[in-house]
Amino acid sequence: MSGGGCSIRAIWILTPNDTVAFSRRFAVVEKRWRAAWEAEEGDGEGDRRGTGAAPLLFPADHEVAAAFAERRRREGTARGSGIRTNVSSVGLDSWVDDPITRHIISLRLDKEEGDGFMLWPVVLQKRGGYYVLVLPLVDPQPFRAYENLLKRSDCGSSAKENGNLSSILFNLPCITGAFMVAHVVGDIITGDIAEPEVIISSGPSVGGLLDSLTGSIGISARAKPIASPVAAPTASLSSPVGAAQSDSLKGGVRPFDKDLLRNFIIGAMPFGTAQDLNYANVTSIRTTGFSGDPLPTDQKQPAWKPYLYKGRQRIIFTSLETINAALYDRDDVPDFLSVSGQVTCRAELEGLPDVSLPLTGLKTAHVEVSSFHHCVQASEPTANKQTLVFQPPLGNFVLMHYQAPCNIAPPVKGFYQLSMVSENEGAFLFKLTLMEGYKSPFIMDFCMITMPFPRRRVASYDGNPSIGTVSMTEHSIEWRIVSSGRGLSGRSIEATFPGTVKFLPRTVQRINSSFRSVSSTGYTEDSDSEQDNAKNGASLDDYIMEKINKDLQAVDLEEPLSWQAYNYAKVSFKITGGTLSGLTIDPKSVNVYPSVKAPAEYSMQASSGDYILWNTLGKCPTAALPREL
Amino acid sequence: MAPPPAPGPRCLLAAPPRPPLHLKPLLLSLVDDHLLPPSPSSSPPSSPPSLSFPLDHPRRDHLLVTVVSAFASALSAPVSRDHEAPHLAALVDALLAAANRPNHAPDRAARALACDALRALDAALPGLLAEALGHLYALAAAERSPAAQSYLLLLASAARHAVRLGRLASGASILAVLTPAAAMEMMAILAEVASAVLQWAPAIAAHIKVQFGGMVHSSSPMLLHSLLTLFVQFPDAFGAEDERTMAHRLALAAREVHRPLAVRLLALHWLLGSVRFRNLVPGLARWFYPAVFDPLALKAKKLDCLASVAAGVDGEKVAAADRASDQATGLLDDGLVCVSAFRWLLAWSTETGVAFRALHSVLVGAAPHSTDGTRCSGAGELLNSTFFHHLQAILVDMASEHQGLVPVIADFTNRLLACNSHRWAGERLLRTLDECLLPRLEPGYQLASYYPIFEKIAQNETVPQHRLIELLTKQMVSLTKKHGPDTELKSWSQGSKVVGICRVMLKHHHSSHIFLPLSHLLVLTIESFPDLEVRDHARICLRMLSCVPGKKLRHIMGVGEQPSGVTPSHSGSLYDIPSPRAAQDLKSMPDLASYIHLERVVPLIVKQSWALTLPNFSVQNRPSGSILSIQDVSSAPSEQENPTGPTIERIGYRQETLRVMDSKGAATLQILRRYFTCVPDYLHSSGFKIRIQCTFRFDSEPFNDAWGLDLPVSGSDGADELPALYAVTITFSSSAHFGKIPSCHIPFILGEPPGSGMDIVPIDNQNREESSYCASVMIELEPQEPSPGLIDVSVEANTENCQVLSGSLKPITVGIEDMFLKASVPPDTPREGVAMYYQDLFHALWEACDSSTNTGRETFPLSGGKGSAAINGTRSVKLLEVTPKVLIGAVERYLASFVVSVSGGSLVTILRGNGVIKNVMWEENVPDASVDADALVPYSPDNNLQLQLVDDDEIGVGAERYGHESKRDMGIMRVMIFLPPGYHLLFLMEVGRASTLVRIRTDHWPCLAYVDEYLEALIS
Repeated sequence: MSGGGCSIRAIWILTPNDTVAFSRRFAVVEKRWRAAWEAEEGDGEGDRRGTGAAPLLFPADHEVAAAFAERRRREGTARGSGIRTNVSSVGLDSWVDDPITRHIISLRLDKEEGDGFMLWPVVLQKRGGYYVLVLPLVDPQPFRAYENLLKRSDCGSSAKENGNLSSILFNLPCITGAFMVAHVVGDIITGDIAEPEVIISSGPSVGGLLDSLTGSIGISARAKPIASPVAAPTASLSSPVGAAQSDSLKGGVRPFDKDLLRNFIIGAMPFGTAQDLNYANVTSIRTTGFSGDPLPTDQKQPAWKPYLYKGRQRIIFTSLETINAALYDRDDVPDFLSVSGQVTCRAELEGLPDVSLPLTGLKTAHVEVSSFHHCVQASEPTANKQTLVFQPPLGNFVLMHYQAPCNIAPPVKGFYQLSMVSENEGAFLFKLTLMEGYKSPFIMDFCMITMPFPRRRVASYDGNPSIGTVSMTEHSIEWRIVSSGRGLSGRSIEATFPGTVKFLPRTVQRINSSFRSVSSTGYTEDSDSEQDNAKNGASLDDYIMEKINKDLQAVDLEEPLSWQAYNYAKVSFKITGGTLSGLTIDPKSVNVYPSVKAPAEYSMQASSGDYILWNTLGKCPTAALPREL
Repeated sequence: MAPPPAPGPRCLLAAPPRPPLHLKPLLLSLVDDHLLPPSPSSSPPSSPPSLSFPLDHPRRDHLLVTVVSAFASALSAPVSRDHEAPHLAALVDALLAAANRPNHAPDRAARALACDALRALDAALPGLLAEALGHLYALAAAERSPAAQSYLLLLASAARHAVRLGRLASGASILAVLTPAAAMEMMAILAEVASAVLQWAPAIAAHIKVQFGGMVHSSSPMLLHSLLTLFVQFPDAFGAEDERTMAHRLALAAREVHRPLAVRLLALHWLLGSVRFRNLVPGLARWFYPAVFDPLALKAKKLDCLASVAAGVDGEKVAAADRASDQATGLLDDGLVCVSAFRWLLAWSTETGVAFRALHSVLVGAAPHSTDGTRCSGAGELLNSTFFHHLQAILVDMASEHQGLVPVIADFTNRLLACNSHRWAGERLLRTLDECLLPRLEPGYQLASYYPIFEKIAQNETVPQHRLIELLTKQMVSLTKKHGPDTELKSWSQGSKVVGICRVMLKHHHSSHIFLPLSHLLVLTIESFPDLEVRDHARICLRMLSCVPGKKLRHIMGVGEQPSGVTPSHSGSLYDIPSPRAAQDLKSMPDLASYIHLERVVPLIVKQSWALTLPNFSVQNRPSGSILSIQDVSSAPSEQENPTGPTIERIGYRQETLRVMDSKGAATLQILRRYFTCVPDYLHSSGFKIRIQCTFRFDSEPFNDAWGLDLPVSGSDGADELPALYAVTITFSSSAHFGKIPSCHIPFILGEPPGSGMDIVPIDNQNREESSYCASVMIELEPQEPSPGLIDVSVEANTENCQVLSGSLKPITVGIEDMFLKASVPPDTPREGVAMYYQDLFHALWEACDSSTNTGRETFPLSGGKGSAAINGTRSVKLLEVTPKVLIGAVERYLASFVVSVSGGSLVTILRGNGVIKNVMWEENVPDASVDADALVPYSPDNNLQLQLVDDDEIGVGAERYGHESKRDMGIMRVMIFLPPGYHLLFLMEVGRASTLVRIRTDHWPCLAYVDEYLEALIS
């Protein structure tokens, strides 16, 4: 019944206090849901009759909020644990033992009279302190299949068995659709609706769709949207420094514009079936409408390009790269460097022209994977070259994403050593080389090194760096090697910083994290089993770390590792003038058809994501590199 | 059916006064949200108000959405648009009219909305637009504005329903102008249309690939997923190469850091979820290697994929080459590196969770659950594979090197053990831990970390226990050695844990297998362990080990524990706390007495069912010259001391000190004084105790019926099927003056097997007592008055399912004969003088009980010196018309120990010959029976006990008979019976050939009531 499409039965936005901040349900979709169940009933499989009626009920807002609160109580956190632990039990999402159950949850509604029923799949997104819940329409069969998974009494399914979670998800594109809906709704809540950044080398960075639009129709431009300073993908990379790892909210939640959201929903999915999830387009159409725009004479105008550009023509490309690095300075562990990049584009072209962009150097750059905007028709990559042909939408858009290794020397390399001389005092040493091998167009805008000590309070530090300035916060020491405004260009520098850091004595701090309290219940620390590590020949460092780690909390599954268990230094920098992967665009080779005179501009920028110098003298997290089978 | 006027949106919005502008969208949303649930009888809104709304009204579109939603959700298909729902027809016409202006620029949004509205209506009422299909096609083909998307979707949707309803139409094929969300919808529709027409137009599959194949590189997850569904629906359209590309694409999608985490996870799920990609997954192994900065959720999922690859590698080629297995183990090792911190982080860290999840997924991947839920496939191969060995080795190493992981490993094995399909793996793992880990461990305090694993080993029947017991024994020795003032707490804690493990062992193993080493361990603990509580615990365990039979024991110890699931808590399981259960409603239970029995071992001779409870009546009615004898001459016999004490005892107390006495009387008094100093003074200390031996048993079948017990899985031996009672407490109470009767306790008793009864239970009482179906119970009375009585019995016990059983049983009858004791002998009496002493005492008492003697005024101090006794005698006679043989038999059987002397030649000869009566005075000559001249005189006019004898006829007959010396010339037996607390009963039996005359004297007249009956019963 639901087919391969994506229809949404309802959207709820819950506050951390378990009240419903916003809800929207779609009567049309609900009707289809009922029809599907009634059809299933009609098929008359006897054993299913008993439960058949329950899912037909639809919960009131407060019931959803209560069910969500109840789920948080049972699963430990709002998202759940995602892994079967010794506190999981049959019927909980964590019983299914899959991390995705933190994102696709079930809600159990307990009606006072009669049986309760379950809502599934509820796609959950946590954004800006709010929980966005999106319930797509699914057929009864996958619903039953998931119910069965929840009830399995065995030790957990494998991908080879029938009816496993993977195959259920495979057959439900609506869940994927619901994810995208939830994502956009989350963006609207957080106000994170700026278009991707496009940088032009001369002048301020350009705005988004509305600027093009207002420019082209002669309305004065509105205030510029606040673009994020670095176009780093925010979804998966969270700042490791003192990252709060609990579900409880720090501070209050910002109220969001419900009218804006309501408006968007009417435009994007008037009847529950998503048609366009591009916020800029949808709201532009609803707020601005169409005046006397001419239509193309011989072509269909794509839905994702509701307006045609009018004005001076040009086309701008920007490469934005983020480099993640784990630098160990050890013989046995190779350094890990990875670049994720995107090419954003802004095509100010009249009509509906096709743009072709040849990409070269793919092989040289070892580009591992790339994906393209849906307007792009990419040719099959041959050897080193791939041509992209696209009819660009209006405004800024991400033309392509790619993953590549860092093909030149890491911009910051060297080592960081921290050794605890006593429980409250450590000696450290940095020895770094910056921008070695980077020739002229490369400019390092700034470079800063942070030594985070999230669980210690820094009392003082001592020592002078060979270059730059040092400052100290309660839980970290920051070393600015290159300050913004005094970019480092065309030369490499060496920077050393020996010093000591003193901490305030540790007070036993029990941070009340609900996650910890749940997951650690099974493993109570046993004073009997305490071991004296100092006797076992381990170094003092290890001993102190071990001691400190005793009250370490479990991190969320969204985190890559237990940051607080390690000593490390995080490097932040921005480099312009080139790409680290080596993948570049030649603006001269850009072709527009039908041919127009439109200059192509190109700029490049690279910045650090998780760029970590692991303490050479301590423990460090690693990952194996693939071996050939 | 004419729909009534609409209550719906029109009323809200068209009727004056108009609500403020800013409320309108909220009202619309409200209406929208509360269209649910549509009841079948409700009628749709009557007419489309949007028509009357000006085109440029700011809320027009919202209103339209609401109205259409109302129609779509309220109407049910099929609707004939002309007749049944004229308003629907009007709405559709209006919408079509609105849409029917292709390429009209300014209102393109409105036209798009009209199309969407039409589509929603069509979805709700399939076939609604079937007739307009051609028109829609023309519109869709003509439209060039961005609204074309809506036209196309409308066309496709209408076409889909046409297909569903059997009216075919061709699909459109324009994708480039759609947004990803719309494309998803479009593809879903087209796929359905296309697969419907595939049969007639196979080329359409190729067309699908051409149209949609390009989406493989899209960054939109919706497009990727849509394409995947096409892979499934059109298997022929996509070749092996396409599949490879797609699978590769999915594997890489998970590596794209810019994607939201959920999407990266989904990509891996898609890869694993489709059968089509399953054989391609192994080739993608290198892409599944987790990176350092991958979120843990993604690491976990990638490890799933690696596990799937490893399992595939192992499963396919395990027999062929070691290389394959090496690959699998290599993959596992490599994968675990990314969460290697789990080895040193705390047990609850997320890394640990991910790592063990990976181990599990590898295992389950290699041996998936079978569909029928019995035993999984691939178990045998896996057990012998190097891969599984490697897994075990990893776990053993981890356990021995990282003690913090032990509970996690225990949980891991538990998870396997709890699964029907993978129990074998868990058991094998435990055996491996037993074989490889235990020898590496040294006793000492740090061994405590391993107790969770030991507990698992102890729980498992398939693992031999000797290594564990040996290690624990060493541990106990070590703990004992290390014990000092600073380590008291440690010794206690660790010691009790060890004993806890022993308990677990007791519970899960046949005691015969572990009996020797375990009892050794327990004995060692009991003997030398420094902590008292631990020793106690060990003692209890040892007792249970040696006393309670095997399976029953295990069942007891299992009571109150959770059913073995995956999630038992760690700390709790060592010491079970029985779960409190509501005691069953006793009223609904059948009478306990019907199947629980407490019976006397020696039945009473007198089968009497009455008991003369002597309340105060007889005494109070009586004037002061009384019978009651033991008197308290001490200060105040306080009520508090003996609250239940009979008040009669102080009545009739009379201080009499003036007396005259002859020498015979003086001798008698001397004997009596000497004697009474050995009679305990029950008022001030404990008196004589009477013991009644009983047996306790219960019938299995009615018991089970009554309590509905779920018996443990019955083994081969019958004993396990029998119910049992635990901690039986039997309490007694009586209205008779039996003092406080201590309760009895029976720790454990089995129900009597059904149908046993007579034939199986041996007649021999001794044997019966020893059987485990039958417990021997001793009731101890401390009578304050020698009278028969009933003892009420109530019982409390635990059943196996922790229910508390309580109720009363049939009362135990106490006869006068239970009160018969031998008189006490002063300690300074020589052994050979006892018989003489008894004879003297008999005569003295005989004298004293003659009401005519002066001793009645005498008081005799009792043992302890506080109280004293007096004798008020009563006499009686009883004629027993039986042959001497019967009499002698009865006396020898019941009264042998009370016989004091026998005289008369023939009687002596017979009794000596029988050899039953010993240590008495034998007198060949019959003494003169003149003492009994007044035997027939009723001693008291109101003594109804002698009615038989004062009967006129009887007297005559009796006198005549007694006149014949020859008829009772066999001899005389003297019988002296002590009745607690301080009375006596004396028989002088003149045995004759045809009858025996019993002269009775007593200092406790009420006992005559029973004596008469007793004597009757004695010879019957």
